[in-house]
Amino acid sequence: MQHNVFILIGFIEIALSIFMQWQNYVSNNIKTFSIQSWILGIFLMYFGVLNNNISIIILSILTILTRAIFIPRYLINTINKQIFRARENKHKVSVSLSILISVLLAIFSYILYTLVFFEFGKSLISIPITLMLQGAFLIMSRSNAYAQLIGYLVMENSMFLLSFLFNGLPFIVEAGIILDILGIVMIGGILMKIRDEDIQKEEELYG
Amino acid sequence: MIYTLPALFATIGSILCFIGFRKKERTVSVFTSLLSLISSIFILFSKNYSSSYFYVDNLSKIFSLMIAIVYFGVVIFSIEYISNIKERFIKVYQYFMLLNIFVAAMFFSVILNNLGLIWVGIEATTFSSALLVAVENDFTALEAAWRYIIIVSVGLVISLIATLFLYSACDTLSIFKLLTIKPTGSLFLLGAILLIIGYGTKAGIFPMNTWLADAHGKSPAPVSAIFSAVLLPVSLYPIIRLFQINHNILLSEFAFILGFLSVATASIMSLNQTLYKRLFAYSSIENMGLALIGISLGSYALFGAIVLIFAHAFAKSGIFMLTGNILHNYKSKKIEDINGIIKTMPHTGLFLFFGSLAVTGAPPSAIFFGEFLILSKTIDLYGWLIGSILISFVGCGFLFINYKVINMVFSGQRKKAIKESNFTLVPIINITLSILTFISLPFLYRFLQGVIK
Repeated sequence: MQHNVFILIGFIEIALSIFMQWQNYVSNNIKTFSIQSWILGIFLMYFGVLNNNISIIILSILTILTRAIFIPRYLINTINKQIFRARENKHKVSVSLSILISVLLAIFSYILYTLVFFEFGKSLISIPITLMLQGAFLIMSRSNAYAQLIGYLVMENSMFLLSFLFNGLPFIVEAGIILDILGIVMIGGILMKIRDEDIQKEEELYG
Repeated sequence: MIYTLPALFATIGSILCFIGFRKKERTVSVFTSLLSLISSIFILFSKNYSSSYFYVDNLSKIFSLMIAIVYFGVVIFSIEYISNIKERFIKVYQYFMLLNIFVAAMFFSVILNNLGLIWVGIEATTFSSALLVAVENDFTALEAAWRYIIIVSVGLVISLIATLFLYSACDTLSIFKLLTIKPTGSLFLLGAILLIIGYGTKAGIFPMNTWLADAHGKSPAPVSAIFSAVLLPVSLYPIIRLFQINHNILLSEFAFILGFLSVATASIMSLNQTLYKRLFAYSSIENMGLALIGISLGSYALFGAIVLIFAHAFAKSGIFMLTGNILHNYKSKKIEDINGIIKTMPHTGLFLFFGSLAVTGAPPSAIFFGEFLILSKTIDLYGWLIGSILISFVGCGFLFINYKVINMVFSGQRKKAIKESNFTLVPIINITLSILTFISLPFLYRFLQGVIK
């Protein structure tokens, strides 16, 4: 049963991250990320209740509070103050190509599974790896800071999914990770407010 | 718990800067950094300690001492330097608050007994220091800070996956337990490889080293100093522990290749640098690459790596502080605009020259000794061909960096001397300490005997 739920969740998460690839509006990406985190949080809670594990239930509440509610709200608030950043007009990689690459990444991670992870017997590992590569691709293919930060957060979410397949990390480490992500988002938000995207040929950052 | 004292003092300093002492942030920071320094010297003479949360052996003590000395110097140097920056991105009290919490995270990272919590500590250093990079408040500084935060965070996600794999493979993240069970197996190996890539990102190891030159080049001088001197070594700390846990040949070869490529990239890239701070940033990449090679080879090369890290911390922090003096007086970051420093600022010029010789491994500096050990072990294990290629890359780095520094210091017409700030004494002391490290080598060797096998 848990196996099937995991596949379903993984499929939805991947579909949502492919949806992110062709979005021009950053706020849509943030909302999609929020939905992703809600799904993850609810899955985590279901898992915790099923196994009667208090620490997982607390973790799921923390996940929902931070990743699904606080971080998206904080980012939406920041972006509302500088509405000209809300839409990314030019993608570095065209929309059709980025969707194609996203699908190829899914195939690549399956190949990676058969080559590297096969011996560990975790047949579902290609799902979080796909998601992680999608996040990394989002960072590389966009110059908009918000889209890059969302890419990083998608990578973190996939990390969460990955930890289901393995033993998971101790509670104190998971709590520390959540704190760190909050820190990164807050500081990233402060920097993004003033960062200019068209600065790639600056002499001081060359070589 | 005396072992947590340096970290606690830095944390208290940060809290006091934020509440209650916003106008006295400099005094508070000097006081707390001095207390951190005293307590880390005191720890040096205490027994090793291990509990469920902390693992303190002689390696942790050496790292704590190194952080504390650089921290103290950087705080003192910042007193005047931060006032000279106009239109700061953050206020002065925020600068000292972030600096203190950043150092506290580093202090914690080197005494924790849990690889997961070490990850949390090192990730905490990222967001606490990102705003310090952007202090100069122009678009380039913000871009450099952004690149730093996003590249390093992505790299650290990789090391988080590594931590997960290690936990799955060994059922524990405690360094103490891992050292006793000596885990093997393919999942452990995969985790270990990812761990090297992940923490390597933060240490400026090839291929994810692109953030380093940007962040070092654009940060204010004291921040570049603390980044290069202690942040990079602290990121190598989990890798040292990893090799203590299991010195696998495959793992060792993998780390060797990454270190080798870092040295090669850095020495070639230092040839076409036009800005002096970026030049020294590439020198840091080269030194960290060599340190990774030393760590991967183990035995006396590991001792070489620790000596290199220790001496490099003092010399490089001194050099970056001196670049602050140069920038302040010449108002340019370009190497071509700087000449005759020895005449305009004799102390800065002379010690920039000495420091540059020291960090590039000129004899008889301690860095030369560290490099010598690492290179001889490389020849011993991988033969003369690889050894001589590595030596030639190190030699190229030495020539390119020193040629540019000599041009900056000694060339040019006679100019009027400028009064140097009294705070120039801090980098002078740091560079002298780096040279004097050579004398302390026998003591250091005896002290680290438990660590080097």
